[in-house]
Amino acid sequence: MSSQRSHVPHYLMIAPFVVLFAAFFLYPILSGFYYSFHDWNGVEVPRFVGLANYEKLLGSRDFSRAMWNLVVYISITVPVGILVAFGLALLVDSFTGRWASFFRNAYFLPVVLPAFLAATIWRWIYAPNFGLLNMILGWFGLPSVNFLNDTGTMIYALIAVDVWVSAGFNMVILLAGLKNIPAELYEAARLDGANKWQQIVHITVPMLGPIMFFVITYSIISAMQVFDKPWLLTGSSFSEYGGRRGALLFPVMDMMGRAFGEVRFGEASAYGFLLTLAIVFLTMVTFGIRKWRERS
Amino acid sequence: MDIRRSFLSTVSALVAVGWAGIAAAQEKTLEYWVYSDFAQGDALALQQEFIKEFTAKHPGVKIEIIGKGDADLTAGQIAGAASGNVPDVFMNGIGTGAQLVEVGALANVYDKWMAMPEDYRNQFNKSAIANCTPEPQKMYCLPYTGYGSLMFRNLTVLKKAGIDPSTPPATWEEWLGQMKKIKEAGMFAIPDQALVFNSIAEMYAISGDVSTWGIDWDSRKTRIDPAVMEKVLQKFVDIAPLNSGTSRNDQATKDLFVTDQLAFHTVGPWVNSTYLEAEKNGKLKYDFVLIPGDTADKRGGIQNYEIVGVAPGENFDISWEFASYVTAKEQMARWAKLLSRYNSNAAAMAEPEVASLPLIARSVESVGYAMDVMPPYLVKAVPSCYSSTVVDIVSATADGEYSPAEGAKEIVAELNDCLAE
Repeated sequence: MSSQRSHVPHYLMIAPFVVLFAAFFLYPILSGFYYSFHDWNGVEVPRFVGLANYEKLLGSRDFSRAMWNLVVYISITVPVGILVAFGLALLVDSFTGRWASFFRNAYFLPVVLPAFLAATIWRWIYAPNFGLLNMILGWFGLPSVNFLNDTGTMIYALIAVDVWVSAGFNMVILLAGLKNIPAELYEAARLDGANKWQQIVHITVPMLGPIMFFVITYSIISAMQVFDKPWLLTGSSFSEYGGRRGALLFPVMDMMGRAFGEVRFGEASAYGFLLTLAIVFLTMVTFGIRKWRERS
Repeated sequence: MDIRRSFLSTVSALVAVGWAGIAAAQEKTLEYWVYSDFAQGDALALQQEFIKEFTAKHPGVKIEIIGKGDADLTAGQIAGAASGNVPDVFMNGIGTGAQLVEVGALANVYDKWMAMPEDYRNQFNKSAIANCTPEPQKMYCLPYTGYGSLMFRNLTVLKKAGIDPSTPPATWEEWLGQMKKIKEAGMFAIPDQALVFNSIAEMYAISGDVSTWGIDWDSRKTRIDPAVMEKVLQKFVDIAPLNSGTSRNDQATKDLFVTDQLAFHTVGPWVNSTYLEAEKNGKLKYDFVLIPGDTADKRGGIQNYEIVGVAPGENFDISWEFASYVTAKEQMARWAKLLSRYNSNAAAMAEPEVASLPLIARSVESVGYAMDVMPPYLVKAVPSCYSSTVVDIVSATADGEYSPAEGAKEIVAELNDCLAE
């Protein structure tokens, strides 16, 4: 009894977090799960429909298209984004003083840029005929590419924007990891005759393991929820989204369209729940791989 | 004596406080949500003037104007309806009206409308009022600003291509002939009309009309006529090599037009401010004409409206009064003059000072021919697969994946599947 009483201050201290977590995280997840089995327009009494929302989604052309786009997007943007961020972190780490600070800030700038501004800049860069990229292509005698309307290039155009934005954030985290690697390890490696590449492969990468794990997991989770960049790049609205032939249609966009464009909140909830399951599954896979690597 | 005086002053103070409390209780604050571009600059100043005039006649009423982007406007109204917190008076596109009716954000204003003087009711464009009235005795909005699409022509490009701009093309064939000449002269004729639903609707209107467009909700089937669609798809195939690859909404399209690389831009009148500015700076020579149809007596183009809606609830009466005040002739005429933009108040459009504005005069003419974008309105929310199916198959046909006949058949079949879902 007295031991329970002695924990009261601890419970009180975590209470604000628990209350906020329950109200803004747990409750929406659980209510979303509940509504996913109902036909609900957000206002009227929900009508139980069993698994109908899930069946409808899984049979929907837009759902398959959005999921396929997501698979392609994640499988490119996560590795490329991390490689670029790692390269930038190594580059910035090699500078000292004012230059290090300058490059760190310069690469971080896209992270703090509002999404609509970034999208406007990139729409101009990608504009056919006289956009910056097409002007450069023109100098080499290459034909104009319609980056945001050609279904063959649209996803790569999005990935480039995403890497540009996310690299700065990942770079800062990796840079913090680099600074924590003891200099003696590099000194010892140099004395043993290791070149720069060998130092990166045999010291930097293994020592960054936990940080890299965080960056990979975070990048996958962010990529699964991609929404604002493709929405803005394709000039989407609740009634028309995803760009030409749905080449930039992603699950969160489709979910928003079903919720606010068609007021089918039950279906949108089922969508959200499937996406949450996918995110949890992929996160568990990354944790599993990490454990397996540690054991082996 | 002193005691009596202090007693009286205490009582009078209490009475004053009481009256103030009652007055405060009677004071109503209406939330008025408008498009973000109506909540800045000159447009905001005029909206505030309307509010000031209205509140002067209605003591105790305060109106807070809040500007929101398109997506925020819709999401906020739907979420507000779900939480019982809808703005009292608000704008949105008529195409979003069905969702707002479904969630109960839009009150049925039919009785209020019928109680208005006939003189007021006769001010509005009849078809716009019909669009707000999906069934007898159910009216959910007052039509507000709107547009009939126009064809903006870059006169420099036309001249460079050896085309006399003094006579606009009267038929599709003439227009196509001009577009080919423009391409031969090394410029772009038109934006890629296959990229967005509205430009596809605009192309459909060249051959078809509203009787074969939109959705039949009773049978849950599209009203698109495959024979008309086949003709329209042939047009997309014909203009595929002539287009700029940008959509009618892209900034890049406006840039191409302003830099004399694009001849035609079929769109609503909102692009005019950009083009007018470029003309003032000596960078552009342009005009705007009606979009031709298949024959000389037909025109293309679409029309669409923004609406003003009123939420149900305790402020309904005063909200309706404000909505009907804002949409009345006097206000709409001032609004039209300020922005040089067409609106649904036909009486305001006929005011000499308004009718003499060239953009408005042409818009009024255009609306006379133009086809509604997605009729019937305010019945049911159109599933997103509807517009994506149209855009996908039109794009695929323009890319050569279907013949126009196959594409037309496929569109109708897929749209019917989408609606049946």
